[in-house]
Amino acid sequence: MAKPNKLIRNFCIIAHIDHGKSTLADRIMELTGQVSKRDMEEQLLDSMDIERERGITIKLTPVRMYYQALDGNEYEFNLIDTPGHVDFTYEVSRSLAACEGALLVVDSTQGVEAQTLANLYLALDNDLEVVPVINKIDLPSADPEGCKKEIEEVIGLDASEAPCVSAKEGINIRDVLEAVTKIVPPPDGDTDKPLKALIFDSYYDNYRGVILFVRLKDGRVKVGDRITTFLSDTVYDVVEVGAFSPRLQPKSSLEAGEVGYIAASIKSILDVAVGDTVTNADNPADEPLPGYKRVQPVVFCGIYPLDGSKFGDLKDALLKLQLNDAALIFEPDTSTALGFGFRCGFLGLLHMEIIQERIEREFNLDIITTAPSVSYKVHLTSGEVIDVDNPSHLPPQSDIEFMEEPIVKAEVYTPPDYLGPIMDLCQDKRGTFKNMTYLDEHRVKLDYTLPLNEIVYDFFDSLKSRTKGYASFDYEIAGYEQAKLVKLDILLNGDVCDALSVIVHESRAYERGRMLCENLKNAIPRQLFEVPVQAAIGGKIIARETVKAVRKDVLAKCYGGDITRKRKLLEKQKEGKKRMRQIGSVQVPSEVFMEILKTNND
Amino acid sequence: MAGIYIHVPFCKQKCSYCDFCSFPNKSGYEEAYMACLYQEMKLRKEELKEMTFDTVYFGGGTPSVIDPKYIYGAMKQIKTCFRLSQNPEITIEMNPGTVSEEKIKLYTRAGINRFSIGLQTAIDSQLADLNRIHTARDFAHCASLLKGRNFNADVMLGLKGQTLDDVKKTIDFATLAGASHISMYALTVEDGTPIYTDYLNGELPDEDTVAYYYEEGRKYLEEKGFKRYEISNFAKEGKESRHNLNYWARGEYVGFGLSASSFMNGRRLTNTFDLDEYMKCILSGFLPVVDSEEVDGETAKFEYLMLHLRTTRGMKIKEFESLFGSFFASYGDAYEKTKAFMTLEDGVLRIKDEYLYVQNSVLMEYMR
Repeated sequence: MAKPNKLIRNFCIIAHIDHGKSTLADRIMELTGQVSKRDMEEQLLDSMDIERERGITIKLTPVRMYYQALDGNEYEFNLIDTPGHVDFTYEVSRSLAACEGALLVVDSTQGVEAQTLANLYLALDNDLEVVPVINKIDLPSADPEGCKKEIEEVIGLDASEAPCVSAKEGINIRDVLEAVTKIVPPPDGDTDKPLKALIFDSYYDNYRGVILFVRLKDGRVKVGDRITTFLSDTVYDVVEVGAFSPRLQPKSSLEAGEVGYIAASIKSILDVAVGDTVTNADNPADEPLPGYKRVQPVVFCGIYPLDGSKFGDLKDALLKLQLNDAALIFEPDTSTALGFGFRCGFLGLLHMEIIQERIEREFNLDIITTAPSVSYKVHLTSGEVIDVDNPSHLPPQSDIEFMEEPIVKAEVYTPPDYLGPIMDLCQDKRGTFKNMTYLDEHRVKLDYTLPLNEIVYDFFDSLKSRTKGYASFDYEIAGYEQAKLVKLDILLNGDVCDALSVIVHESRAYERGRMLCENLKNAIPRQLFEVPVQAAIGGKIIARETVKAVRKDVLAKCYGGDITRKRKLLEKQKEGKKRMRQIGSVQVPSEVFMEILKTNND
Repeated sequence: MAGIYIHVPFCKQKCSYCDFCSFPNKSGYEEAYMACLYQEMKLRKEELKEMTFDTVYFGGGTPSVIDPKYIYGAMKQIKTCFRLSQNPEITIEMNPGTVSEEKIKLYTRAGINRFSIGLQTAIDSQLADLNRIHTARDFAHCASLLKGRNFNADVMLGLKGQTLDDVKKTIDFATLAGASHISMYALTVEDGTPIYTDYLNGELPDEDTVAYYYEEGRKYLEEKGFKRYEISNFAKEGKESRHNLNYWARGEYVGFGLSASSFMNGRRLTNTFDLDEYMKCILSGFLPVVDSEEVDGETAKFEYLMLHLRTTRGMKIKEFESLFGSFFASYGDAYEKTKAFMTLEDGVLRIKDEYLYVQNSVLMEYMR
């Protein structure tokens, strides 16, 4: 048996959003000479535009570095960046499975936060060694000692030796690297055993086909090897292997303990699954690595191309996104109002938003999205139980015995000043109060159970506006509860518009119906005829507004010099109209389908 | 049919809604400008020698603000350079605060036979809000000088504080004074004009109110024997503006002066809006054209439809087809979608009376 290289350290960084994870990663790369300061693009690992703009990490991006340690050895570091937001827990668990250690970055002005904890527990579950790092010590409000104390008390981790750094100013970064060499163990495994490599990510390259991101547990792989995976029978010839610098850098081979990539002319993105295990086709391993738990999407919405003929392009885009975002699921769906599109499932609202944005930006597609929904368990009078996540697929009320909706356990962290408004909000959202804990004099934790369908509606926005952004919120799915739910339909000019239907709690139906009609009245442009906007439950109208007919739209004067101007004005209006959908006889702008989310309360 | 347009860009002062090409306090430029204008006609004499013009229109600005000898001179130059038809319609725009008996005499000697007076409203406080230089009395005086002549009065809708009663009063005032033609149009608020502030502060009547005034004003005018023949234009029998009808028939026209447009051989030309540049060009022997657009194919076809449908005469399908081929091959689908708002009788397509004021929504269906 041959042990892997003892000088390899595979680790990731865990942090709450904005605690400085990506900046720390940048400094580490700088210090190991991976990139010179001059070439340094801020936040090198966050390569997606959306990531840079929003200051968040969505995708994990591995990078290999070499570090000359004080003990005289040169270490090989494989750093895998991880997303901070709870929606991307799945991504985190993928990167953790490829590591032996994790840096836990804590902002010394903020202390430990909910998301940090969630990810930390994941790390501990994966048997990772955790190195606490106290960041932002350059700020006047920094409290490194208090922070260490909190880590010890809240997490139960020894933080006495924790490096205190400023990633922004580049202070004490070497301490972090030294701690990695000492605390994070070298990889386990056996280079002589048959190849066993975990696919933890992949993407599609136009020239090389699918690129697999792998962590080798046992064995070796080199160019010319024939490989296969446990979930597919196809055999591929390896054409390239290499490491991440962070760009792809070819090497002659990879062996146990290492993190790298494999290109094997894999043409179809459907042939490989993240979480699957790669092995040698001529000398296969007996059994696969544990892989990943399949995640269940909790938020759903319809995505339709604005231009109906782009259905194929939208499908391509979703397939390509799914390749490195296994948590995204979708299936074809049709809507009378919107035509052919897809019903998509996401891990949460941020995940949904990111996917929508990536489709528009990376694939240059204009899309219409419907309001987010959750998955209900519908108990039919026949005794059958079905899952319904699309309101327009809900069977008629007479066939339904009762319905169950998903419930979440929610934690809200807030300064005590906002307790009142938050409790009011949770009450409004049909929440059940569970517990209240004073973490210290400045911070209170509230525990609630809440229906998920209230959260996907407008909970985040309301929470933010009621607490001036001070409260943070985290949730996890906690099963199903029976509830009196009804389908609220919207009728435009007398016809039901299926893309606008929502499932709501009976007690909220009238209010929601009224508000929806009002919002839609304001969002739908005036047409040549009056358009009644009605809300109905099972055929009974409960609210009505009217979009008045347009009465004047001409340019008063049209003489010699005005003709071109008038024509161009019409051309511009026509362009705007192309972004509209014809629903029955009514022209509706694509934004209308998200109007359903807006509230008039806050 | 073809028309000549002459632009006179001078004014006593700028009205609060005005974003046209006009200059207050530039009276020192009048002589030089008009000399250039005569020169511009000379520059185009050769090019236009085959044409016969049926109408001439002096617009602005305020053509009546400058010394009438220049108008007389311009007419002389037109007759020297171009061919006019037997009975040309020759119109001049006038501001009631700038007229005199002498001016009208000279205009008449120059051949002008139609006058267009900017009344806007008979309510003096509203005139003051618009920064107009005249009062309702000035209009009455002007009209008395034009007694028995063919003249138009402009009436504006959508003014600050305007009531339906004010609109009717203005119509009464203009028609009793002898106007044979009324242009009734809604105030168009342009960004950058003083009145834009009123608009932003919600001080102007809203769209529905203006539409209501328009509809009531239209009925009121029809009761008085003024027939709507275009969206904003009403006339007694036989008093329609031939010059403007030519625009809506997509006829040819030649414009002289600052910012003036011409439409000839399927090409639309626009002169510069910069006074100095205009004069420099002319003096160097160049035409001051800054924009030249070939209007053909789909665009020409659509323009033809758009312009004809502004009028109550509508569009003769046969004439359309002689220019662009089958109407239904081009616009069959659009017609199907909009036929509830139109009539197609005896080969003439029209927008129904009650939808003329929402013409854009109908036309939209005909655009590609």
